[in-house]
Amino acid sequence: MTAAPLLRLPFYLLSLTMIAPFYWMVITVFKPVTEIDRQPPSFVPEHPTLDNFYDPGYSPTQVNPGHLQGIFQRFQVDFGFGRFMFNSLVITVAITAGSLLIASLAAYVITKHRVPGRRLIFLMIVASMMVPWQTTLVPNYVIMRNLGWLDTYQGYIVPALAKAFVLFFLVQFLHSIPDELVQAARVDGAGEWRIWWRIVLPLLRPALAAMSIFIVLAEWNNFLWPLILVQSDEMANIPVALARLNSYFTGAQNQGAIMAGGLLASLPSIVFFLVFQRYFTRGIVLSGLKG
Amino acid sequence: MTTPAAVSRHRWRRHGTSYLMLLPFLALFAGFLVWPLANSLYLSFTRFDGVTAPEFTGLENFRRLLFDDDRFRHALGNTFLYVVASVGIGTLLSLGLALAFSGSGWPHRVMRTVFFLPSVTSSIALMLLWKWILNPGDFGLANTVAGWFGGRAVEWLATPGLTIPILVLMSVWGGMGYGMVLYVAGLNTIPQEYYEAARIDGATSWQQFRRVTLPLLRPVTTYVVVTGLIGAFQVFEAVYIVFRGTNNIGGVLDSGLMIVPYLYDQGFTHFKLGYASAIAWVLFVIIFALSMVNLRIGRALKEL
Repeated sequence: MTAAPLLRLPFYLLSLTMIAPFYWMVITVFKPVTEIDRQPPSFVPEHPTLDNFYDPGYSPTQVNPGHLQGIFQRFQVDFGFGRFMFNSLVITVAITAGSLLIASLAAYVITKHRVPGRRLIFLMIVASMMVPWQTTLVPNYVIMRNLGWLDTYQGYIVPALAKAFVLFFLVQFLHSIPDELVQAARVDGAGEWRIWWRIVLPLLRPALAAMSIFIVLAEWNNFLWPLILVQSDEMANIPVALARLNSYFTGAQNQGAIMAGGLLASLPSIVFFLVFQRYFTRGIVLSGLKG
Repeated sequence: MTTPAAVSRHRWRRHGTSYLMLLPFLALFAGFLVWPLANSLYLSFTRFDGVTAPEFTGLENFRRLLFDDDRFRHALGNTFLYVVASVGIGTLLSLGLALAFSGSGWPHRVMRTVFFLPSVTSSIALMLLWKWILNPGDFGLANTVAGWFGGRAVEWLATPGLTIPILVLMSVWGGMGYGMVLYVAGLNTIPQEYYEAARIDGATSWQQFRRVTLPLLRPVTTYVVVTGLIGAFQVFEAVYIVFRGTNNIGGVLDSGLMIVPYLYDQGFTHFKLGYASAIAWVLFVIIFALSMVNLRIGRALKEL
C-alpha cells in the first residue's frame, strides 16, 4: 500500500519542520556572541567562529565585550566539558558490556538448562517489564546513599546492569536456536562456561548487536537517575552537565555555548545510529512486533 | 556403575553451575529492582525525610494525594491531557508518514532517517534547543517566524495556555519517527496479493486502506498506542528543562506540572520521600493497568 504522490506532499513539507530546528542549532553554534541575539537573526553565520567551543578572547578577570566562555571553559573541572564526555563514555560502555554479559548468562540457563524454578524466575522478570522504573527511584537513592555510592561510577553502573527487556529479548532469540548445538558441545566434554563463551555468545551476536544499540543510546542520554545520583561537577554525565548549564546561564548570549554542548552530546549518538542503522531498525521491529 | 549419591552429586554440580550463571543477573535484579519496589511500597505508607527513620502513617499519604492535594490533581489532569493529545496526534502522523515513505528507494529512506533523527538525538540537547527556539526575545526562531506572518513576539514559555500545546508539539515532533518505523515494518508484512484481489473486486484505494491496510495493522497500532501512552505518562525532561522556574518545577502557574516532575519535586527538592513513594505507586498502578491492556489485546489478537 503506498500513498498517491499528491498525498505525500504534506509529509515532504513536514520534513522541513524536522530539519529546521537542527539547522537552527548548528548555525547558533557557529555564531559569535554578538550575532546570537541580533534582530533580525542571520540564517547563515556572517562571521563563523569556534568561540562557542573555546573562546581565546575571554578572560575571567577582564571584561571583554563580545566574548563569553566557550563550552570547554564553563566548568571548573579538569578538561572542562571533555570530562563529562569521558564520564558518559565510561558509563555507557560499562553498562552495555556488563548488562549483555549477565543477561546472556541468565538467558542461556533459562533456555537450555533444566533447572528447577527457571519458569518462575523468567515470569518474574517479564512481569517486571510492566513496572515504571521511577517507582524504584526513592529506595535506590537511599541504597546509594547508605552504600556511599552517590556521586560515583558504581552508582551509575551497578543498579543499571540487570535489564529485564534485554534478558527477555535474548531468551526469545535463544529459543529459536536448536538445543542440539549445545548438546553436541556437551558430548564433546565442554564445560558450561566454555559453551556459553564459545557457542552461545557467538550465536547471539545479532541479538546482542540489536540490544547494544538500544542500551548505548539510552545510557548516553540517561538523565533522571544521574540527576539524583550526582552532586559534584566532576561526576556529571553529559545530560546532567547540560541541565546545569541551563540553570546557571540564562541570558540569550549564552545559547551559543549551550548549543555547542548540545551538539557535542548529540553528534556521537547520531553518528552511531547512522553507522548501525540497519541493526537498529531490525532491533526495533523484532522487539516491538514479537515482544 | 553410578550410585544414587553420585547421581545427586552430579546433579548438584550441574545445577550448581546453572545457578551460579543465573546469580549475577538475579542478585542485581533482586537488589536494585525487587527489593526497592517492595521498599517503595512500604515507604508510601510512611512519613520519611531521608534522615530520621520512616514513621508509619497508614494511608495518610494516599488520602492526602487523592483528596487533599490540589497540585497533584492538577498534575494528573495535565498529564492525562498531554498523554491523550500527544499519543493521538503522534500515532496518526506516524501512520501517515509510514504510508507516505514505506518504499525502499533512496528518497523514502532519506525521509525516514530525517523523521527518525530526534529519536537518536540527546533528549536534553533537544529540550535545550526547543527552549532556545521559543526564546521570548524577537530574535528567537519562533518569534522570527511569527513575525514573517505579521505576528507579534510571544512569551511562549510564560503563557500558561500555551504550555500543554507546546509540550504536545515537542513530543509529537520527537516521537512520530519511532512509530513510523514500526508502521513501515507492519506495512511490509502485508502481502501485495491482498491489494490485487481487492482491486480486482473493484475496491477504491480508500476502501483498500479501510478494509485491508488498517485491520491488518491493528497489532502495530495497539503496540504504538500503548507504548506511546506508557512513555507519555513518564514525561519528565521536557517539563524539567524547558518550563521549570527558579522555585517551581511546573512552570508558570504549574501549567506544565505532571506526575513524574511532581514526584521529583516532592522527593528530591522537598525530601518528602514517603509522599514521593506514594506518587510513584499511583504511577505504577496506571502503567501496570496499561500494560495489562496491552497483554490482553495482544493475546486476543493472536487467538483470532
